[in-house]
Amino acid sequence: MNLTRDRVHSIGWMTVLLVCGALSLALMLRVNAVKSEVASSEKHIVYLKRDIDFLQTEFQTRSNQQQLKALNDLEFGYEAPRAEQYIEGERQLAALGKPAAPGAPAPIRYASADEIGDTPGEGGGNGGGNGGGQLLAMVSPVTGAAAAKTKSTSEAVREDEAEGKALAREAKDLGKRLARIETAGDAQ
Amino acid sequence: MASLPIYEAPGAFPVKPGTGVRPRLTIAVSNPAPISTGRHKVPNLRHRALVVAKWRSLWVLLGFALLGICALVRLSYLGFAGATGQSADITSLLLPARGMIVDRNGTPLARDFRVYSLWFNPKAMTDGSPLISSPREVAEKLHAIFPDLNVAELTRKLSSGEPGYLRKSILPEQANRVHALGEPALEFPQEVTRFYPQGTTAAHVLGFVDAYGNGKVGMEEVFDQRLKSADGRSQTTALSIDVRVQGALEDELGRGMQLSQAKGAAGVVLDVETGEILALASLPSFDPNKIDRASTPNIFNRVTNQVYELGSTFKPFTVASALDAGTITNLGRRWPAGPLHVAGFTIHDSHNFGASLNVPETLIHSSNVVTAQIADELGGARLKRTMELLGMNERPHVELPARGFPIWPSGVWPRLRTMTVAYGHGIAVTPLHLASGYAALVNGGIWRPATLIKRSPDQIPQGRRVFTAATSARIRQLLRMIVSFGTGRKADAPGFRVGGKTGSAEKPGAGGYQRHSLIATFAAAFPMDHPRYVVIAMMDEPQGTEATSFQRTAAWNAAPVVSRVVPRIGPLLGIMPDETRDIDISDLRPLVPAGADKE
Repeated sequence: MNLTRDRVHSIGWMTVLLVCGALSLALMLRVNAVKSEVASSEKHIVYLKRDIDFLQTEFQTRSNQQQLKALNDLEFGYEAPRAEQYIEGERQLAALGKPAAPGAPAPIRYASADEIGDTPGEGGGNGGGNGGGQLLAMVSPVTGAAAAKTKSTSEAVREDEAEGKALAREAKDLGKRLARIETAGDAQ
Repeated sequence: MASLPIYEAPGAFPVKPGTGVRPRLTIAVSNPAPISTGRHKVPNLRHRALVVAKWRSLWVLLGFALLGICALVRLSYLGFAGATGQSADITSLLLPARGMIVDRNGTPLARDFRVYSLWFNPKAMTDGSPLISSPREVAEKLHAIFPDLNVAELTRKLSSGEPGYLRKSILPEQANRVHALGEPALEFPQEVTRFYPQGTTAAHVLGFVDAYGNGKVGMEEVFDQRLKSADGRSQTTALSIDVRVQGALEDELGRGMQLSQAKGAAGVVLDVETGEILALASLPSFDPNKIDRASTPNIFNRVTNQVYELGSTFKPFTVASALDAGTITNLGRRWPAGPLHVAGFTIHDSHNFGASLNVPETLIHSSNVVTAQIADELGGARLKRTMELLGMNERPHVELPARGFPIWPSGVWPRLRTMTVAYGHGIAVTPLHLASGYAALVNGGIWRPATLIKRSPDQIPQGRRVFTAATSARIRQLLRMIVSFGTGRKADAPGFRVGGKTGSAEKPGAGGYQRHSLIATFAAAFPMDHPRYVVIAMMDEPQGTEATSFQRTAAWNAAPVVSRVVPRIGPLLGIMPDETRDIDISDLRPLVPAGADKE
């Protein structure tokens, strides 16, 4: 076959056209596949939404006013709060946390029976540090083993002292100390 | 010639074109001499067979090509058009058949719910009996799943061969158990029903949907067209009701009704500034999920449909009208309180309040005699005008279809009529009329129509002025005094500054008023220093029981309901109790003797 320049060109163009056609066909098929996937997902979503509706209706029915009233009558016995149970605003709320004025009568405190030997107030200003030793350990009724070993009072005191020393060491580095965040875990 | 070449001519072969079997040639040659004619025919035969075969494969190829083209066309069509037509159908699956009704905070009150129902289809099995087991056995098995179904009735339905419901609305787990019975004739199609998650709460407001899908009685009927329309289906319809307030009101009314052994009870909570009804209760109620013969009489709405003579709760209207008209210029002025004889009729008080009473004392003790005299000075025309402005001469303004027409004395009111209307007799209105009237009384004097549709601030109607703002302020003081010192003491809720008026009217019956069947009403508003809500509680024929100290009047049954409802709903509506605040009544306090509240 006589391959002239023009013929090569046209064969090239034809090939490009064919390749493009094949690619676009493949793309079309892919698009189509994705579309049908989307449609089936949409269908799935709709059925799930229906299920959600069903469950919502069930929850609403189980939590309707009459059920709540029956539950309250049976379990809780809550009544409408009285006027003195309300706080007027942030100012009144903040006033509750105000330190006692000099010469003010000591506030009545409840439930503060500390064990002998327990020294409250030594936790470096951390009031929650004393509670750990007073909690009863959870004991398995089958094996008799304690589920979680609670710290003894002396251990807690020692830890607090160590923490105090560490803080004193860090005192030079003020930024580090200020950046320290007290977490709930530290308090125990 | 014995040795002739024997061959079978091609035409003798049983070859059909298209079978593709090569022709079998049996050439018995006894004489080796070639015969020219036969030699030519064999290649011909082969050639034709080949052509046939080629044609056939061409046809097959064409068939495949056509299929391929079809597939390509379909693919490209799908590629371009995609599944667009389908997705629209899918989203419409989520659209309820009937729009959802929600309360003012968006809690659903009425919604569509898809339930299974148990349907007997005798045609499910084509041959023989529709059931595999005997109808009796199937009925007994169904009875084990649904203990409330009757075996005999079920057997009759199953053996009749007629399709029909065996039971409407069954649980999915019950459907599974029915499925496990293995009877193809027992089908459980999913059907859309109207469901009211709150049960009997707000039943009178909502109404129900009948078997044909039409709304009945309440807002279901009012909004029927809208809820069915494409627009109404796709969005929720918000009512002015607050379901928590509604629950509290129904709960406390029900409790009060039980304690006083009343025949029925009604209550309304109305926003005084907008006219929105936050709660509307009529007891005994019905369950819109289950309409049967027993509940049908309870569908009647006492709040909007039944008119009552509401008695002394009308006295503040009379006093306000007189203050506006200027016939009372001095609240300390004293009127004689002895029995009043007018046109052959004697007006009494429940008991003797002494020789004379001033205006605050009149309201505090609820004196018919003095109120009648105040109305007499005011005149029938002016009192009638006030009542007309309060809408007492027309059906209550609310969307509900069931609205009672008041018993309204038309024409010129004679003297006696004026006097009786002044203390709430000879005129009968619905409790909703009273609520709207009290809203106008305390909100600065503007009457607005009540509504069950949530109103945005720009939709609040202008209303019409009935009383001056000064009169309204004065009435607020007086209403608070009634609760602080008078007949309404049992309605007080500490910190909520409740004000209101009792009303105990005898029901008219054959041969005059019946002494022992009363309508006990308490109309209240709170907080009195800046009234936001009106609360009406009404008992129909309360009895004197131990819980009500053997009293039948409103102070002992309706007033305690208000005192229990207000602390429950107040904080929900943004009114916090505060015992350090109250409306200033210091200018009126000297008019009431110091011991008045120790009565």
